[in-house]
Amino acid sequence: MKRMIFIAILGALLLQGCKTAEQKEAKPLEMNPEKLMTSSAAGHGNCLACHAVPSRPELVAGNMGPPFIGMKARFPDIAKLKAAIADQKVFSPDTMMPPFGRNKLLTPEQIDVLAQYIYQY
Amino acid sequence: MKKFTLVLLLAFSLPVFAEPVMTDGYAEKTPEATLKAIQKASHKKFPEVKGDGFVNGSLNFNPASVESNKYWTARMNDSFDQPEGYGKSEAEGKKLWETPFANGKKFADCFGHGGKGAANDFPKVDPTTGKVLTFENALNKCLTDNGEKALDYSDMKTMGALSVYARHLSDGMRINIQVKTDKELAAFNRGKEIFYGRTGSADQACAHCHIQHAGDTARTEELSPVIGQAAHFPVYRLDKGTDGLKLVSLQERYKGCQKSTGVEKPIKEGSDASNDLEYFHTYISNGMPLSTGVMRK
Ligand code: HEC
Ligand code: HEC
Repeated sequence: MKRMIFIAILGALLLQGCKTAEQKEAKPLEMNPEKLMTSSAAGHGNCLACHAVPSRPELVAGNMGPPFIGMKARFPDIAKLKAAIADQKVFSPDTMMPPFGRNKLLTPEQIDVLAQYIYQY
Repeated sequence: MKKFTLVLLLAFSLPVFAEPVMTDGYAEKTPEATLKAIQKASHKKFPEVKGDGFVNGSLNFNPASVESNKYWTARMNDSFDQPEGYGKSEAEGKKLWETPFANGKKFADCFGHGGKGAANDFPKVDPTTGKVLTFENALNKCLTDNGEKALDYSDMKTMGALSVYARHLSDGMRINIQVKTDKELAAFNRGKEIFYGRTGSADQACAHCHIQHAGDTARTEELSPVIGQAAHFPVYRLDKGTDGLKLVSLQERYKGCQKSTGVEKPIKEGSDASNDLEYFHTYISNGMPLSTGVMRK
C-alpha cells in the first residue's frame, strides 16, 4: 500500500517534469532584455506594468513600483539589483512584486541580462 | 497502514491559509475595526473621493475612462445598438422575476416588500450550517422551496439576468452586511484570509492591488479601492468577442483577477470559498448604495 502511494506520487512528479520540459521546448527562452522588460506575454517580466522608465516616456507604464532611474546610484552592487528581481520580498516583506527568481518566472540568466539592461537607466 | 493513508488525506484536505500581506485592515481583530482601518486609509489616500463616490471605483482616477464609460453606457442603454447585452438581460430578468411558479407563487413572495431592500442585506450566513448564502443562493432557495429547479450561478442568461433585475429593486439602498454571531465571524475571517492571502505564481493578494496599491496604475488600468467594489455587480463589461457588452457576475470577476495574476486554479464561482470571499468583500462596502448593472470596461 505504502509502495503504491509512493509510485503514484513518483508518477505524478515525473509527469509534471515532462510537462515543463515540453513547455520549454515549445518556446525558446526570451533573452532580449528589452522584450523581457516590456512584454506582458508569458515567459516575460512585464516590468513596465508596474515600473516606468522616466528617460523613455513613450513607453506606456504603470506606477505601482518605483521608476527605473538612477539605478547605478541606488544599487552600487548589481548583485543586489539581481536579488531584488529574484525576490523583492526579502527586502520588503509585504511587496506585491512577483518573485521572478523564487517562483521561477524567469531564469537566473534572464534576470542577469535584465539587471544589466536596467542598470543603464 | 489505513491510519497512514488517513493522515495523508487529512494533510491534503485541511484548509491551508495563504501567507497574508500586512496591509491596512489585516491586523485588526474585529470586523468593525477591519472596516474602519480600510476606510480610514482610503479616505486619507483619496481625499478627493467623497462618500458614495467610492462606488465609481477606478473611474475616480482617470478622466479619460469616465469619457469612455459615458460613451459605452449610452450604447448599453440603446437596445438597438446592443440587442444582446443590456436590453435583453433586463427583459429576461424581469420575465423570470415576474412569471409565477407552477404553484402560483412568485419570487416577490420569498422576499419582503416585493424584493425591495432584499439584495443589499446579502450575503448572509446560515445559522445552522454556518455556510455563506449569497443573494443568488437565496433566489435559488426560493425556487427549490417552491418546487422549481435551481439555476446555475454561472449562467448569465438565466441567473445573471434574474440577479441583475432583482438587485435593481434595491438600487440606492445601502449595503448592510451583519457580522455578529460566531458562525458569521468565522465566515468573515475565512473570506478575509482569502482577500489578504498571497496566491499564484505572482504571489499576490487581492489586498495588494485593491488596498495597498489602490489608485495606482497597472500599465493602463487604475486600481479601484476595495470599498464600493461589491455595490454594482453584476456589471456589463466590454466583450471583445461580440464588440458589445456582456453581463459578468461578481464571483466571475474575482476569478478574472486571479487568472490575470497567475493563479492556476482560481476559486470557482458559486463555491463555498468564493461565497466566503464575497461575504467579507461585501461587508467592506457596508454603507455604500447598491448601484447594480452599470458598465465597467
Ligand atoms: C506587479 C507589479 C510589479 C512588477 C510586474 C514588477 N515590479 Fe518591481 N517592484 C514593484 C513594487 C511595488 C516595488 C517597490 C516596493 C516594494 O517592495 O513593494 C518594486 C521594487 C523593485 C525594485 C527595487 C527598487 C528599489 O528602489 O528598491 C527593483 C529593482 C524592481 N522592482 C525591478 C523589477 C523588474 C526588473 C521587473 C520585471 C522583471 C519588475 N520589477 C516587475 C512592483 C512590481
Ligand atoms: C495585480 C493586481 C490585482 C490583483 C492581485 C487583484 N486585482 Fe482585482 N482588479 C485589478 C484591475 C487592474 C482591475 C480593473 C480596474 C479596476 O476596476 O480596479 C480589477 C478589478 C476588480 C474588480 C472590479 C471593480 C469594479 O469596480 O468593477 C473587483 C471586484 C476585483 N478586482 C476584485 C479582486 C479580488 C477579490 C481579488 C483577489 C482574489 C483581486 N481583485 C485581485 C487588479 C488586481
